[in-house]
Amino acid sequence: MTHLFGVLSTATSALLTHQRAINVTGNNIANVNTPGYSRQRLNLETGTPTQTGLGMMSFGVTSTDVERVYDRFLGVQLNNENANLGRWEAQKGMLDRVEVVFDESAGYGLNQALSDFWNSWQDLSLNPEGQTERSVVAATSQGLADAIRQKYNDLEQVQEDIDTAVEGDVEAVNRLAAQIADLNQKIARTEIGGTNANDYRDSRDFALKQLSEIIDIKSFEDASGQAVVSVGDGRPLVESGNTWKLSTQTNTDETTANFGHTDILWPDVNGGLVNISGEVGGGRIGGWLQTRDTKIAGYQAQLESLADGLILKVNDLHDDGFDLNGGPGAQFFTGTGAADMQVNPDVLADPKLIAASLTGAAGNADNAIAISALRTSLTMNDGTATFDAAANSLVGQVGYDVQTAKANAGHQADMMTYLENYRESVSGVALDEEMVNLVKFEAAYNAAAKMVSMADEMLNSLMNMIR
Amino acid sequence: MRITQNMMSNIFTSNLRKQTEAMLQRQEQIATQKRINRPSDDPSGMGRVLAGRSTLATIGQYADNIKQGKTRLEFNEETLKLADDLVQRARRTAEENSGDSVTAEERALAAESVKEIYDQVLQLANSKLNGRYIFSGDKSNEAAFTRDVDYNATYNGDAGSFRIPIADNVQVNVDADGRNYFQDAAGGGVNIFDELRDLIVGLENTDLAVGSTQIRATIDPLEDAHVQIMNKRSEAGPKLYRLQATEEHWANVKNTVQAAIGREEDVDVAQAIIELKNLETAYQSTMAAASRIIQPSLVNFLK
Repeated sequence: MTHLFGVLSTATSALLTHQRAINVTGNNIANVNTPGYSRQRLNLETGTPTQTGLGMMSFGVTSTDVERVYDRFLGVQLNNENANLGRWEAQKGMLDRVEVVFDESAGYGLNQALSDFWNSWQDLSLNPEGQTERSVVAATSQGLADAIRQKYNDLEQVQEDIDTAVEGDVEAVNRLAAQIADLNQKIARTEIGGTNANDYRDSRDFALKQLSEIIDIKSFEDASGQAVVSVGDGRPLVESGNTWKLSTQTNTDETTANFGHTDILWPDVNGGLVNISGEVGGGRIGGWLQTRDTKIAGYQAQLESLADGLILKVNDLHDDGFDLNGGPGAQFFTGTGAADMQVNPDVLADPKLIAASLTGAAGNADNAIAISALRTSLTMNDGTATFDAAANSLVGQVGYDVQTAKANAGHQADMMTYLENYRESVSGVALDEEMVNLVKFEAAYNAAAKMVSMADEMLNSLMNMIR
Repeated sequence: MRITQNMMSNIFTSNLRKQTEAMLQRQEQIATQKRINRPSDDPSGMGRVLAGRSTLATIGQYADNIKQGKTRLEFNEETLKLADDLVQRARRTAEENSGDSVTAEERALAAESVKEIYDQVLQLANSKLNGRYIFSGDKSNEAAFTRDVDYNATYNGDAGSFRIPIADNVQVNVDADGRNYFQDAAGGGVNIFDELRDLIVGLENTDLAVGSTQIRATIDPLEDAHVQIMNKRSEAGPKLYRLQATEEHWANVKNTVQAAIGREEDVDVAQAIIELKNLETAYQSTMAAASRIIQPSLVNFLK
């Protein structure tokens, strides 16, 4: 059935459809820099064909739907790698600060403090009655105790900063989880009518990506298109419109490595709270927990054994000696470990109390020599290392950990760039492509408009016939 | 593959970041002249640098100890030389006054001069270096010898010695027991103070003949005393030599360790500058390429 009005309706459908196509193209161009945006495409179809004398013919064009172009498997991989990136970036950030604590490159650090300490005892051994030498021993000993204590406390400070950071990030997890649950519901409501919730899905994918950077998650889409998200050992965080709100709490169990620091809790069905700190291995939070409970706790343990060894060995020898007044040697170092190591305040106030003599005679220096000889004795690591070697190896270990974190963060960043580019290649907006489409759609629109005016002219001619 | 503007700018920015990072590192290396600026730059290298620094600090201390030891030995030597001169003068006085023709007046004068000698030797035996008595063993805060009005000397010190740590668990001992120098009780040698006292007694004896015998009896022991002091002086020689040799050894080790630390942490400046130059070229070409590729789009060509 061909008639003149058919031409008009065909032209109308072409005008409308291309206008829509230009609209979609415009939207793509507008969102070229929107994070997480997937380019959209208007799917076109020929109009419903009808039986004519010449056979089946369709008149006009229709648009079926607006589709977003994306790779559904890429999302999961992006999220996993993003969790790794978050973890290593977090470790790198915090370990960088730890490295500053152990910065020995300028020459003022544990190494220097230890050398000064041993040397001052030797100086004293050459002049055991010397007030200057005694004062120097007191000062360098306090310097050593300060260095160990301060490093220990600086490490503690980094751990506390991690606590604060973890608490902030747990809030962010809850916020993103609520956002995902909300989007789940919006997507369900939109798609029940058969249309694609393109922009909601983009937003949800983006929220999942942000979430994975903070904490390692497992997520999948159920049959109804709702995202199911779980953390740790398969503990649900989001299911359709529901969320499980994570919380934090300070650990009060002295037997655990992170005593006094923040734990992450997950609410179970009975309203109880489960500690999932040990289950979080990735994302920023995972990286931070690992830095706090494994790396920094390890450095602290090494400082602790250095302090313990020094206190024990030096005090042992000092107790056997005699001070300048001929009295028995007082306790030299006070404190029980790296956190509270100090030179006995009495000795500090009166360096005559330093027990350099082993016989009681003022000029005897055997005890000072014995204490300075501790430098070369294998007292650390089960009798395999000197104090100096143990301190140096701690610095080396920190350096190695920072180097590893840096290398991994760099590698992970490269990986993300690659994956992001792959995603961009599939879903990103290419301006040139959109411009070509724009020109293409504009030309079609113009041609359709021409068709209308042509049909108009034809109708005019027809009308003039009967005037 | 579909390429979008964002991909280009992503790759561009990520490369720029890497290049500026590498340039910053070279710049830091050139500015500090060090390859290792923090432990993570080279953890095992840093470990070797720190071990080297410990060694350097130790060596520095040993070198200081040796300097003090040398001072001590030289001071000992100086003191003993003066004591030796005095002892020999006493012996000559004894020889000159041992004859029967010497008058009582002459002997009285000689007695006065020997008393002076006695007190000078006593003063030398009580020499102090840096506020410490050098011949009273470990009791270095007490004068080594004191005498009563009858010129009887008592030793107040003990058997301690001055010890100089010159290497790990190695010390050079300098005898600080004054008895070994001036009384040699243990070695069965001469008690210099007693001989001088006997000489004074002999010179002051009113019975000139008995006095002559007493004076003569001190001549040989005073000669022995000279030998005794010479022997103690000769002990210092090998010790000084040992300190000297050790000092030279440490100076050599110091150079070696310093060179090793330098190799470990110093930057090869020429190399770093060449690398910086290369990075600069790469950086500039990246920028040039980006400015040509990123700017134009189809928009510029559609009229």
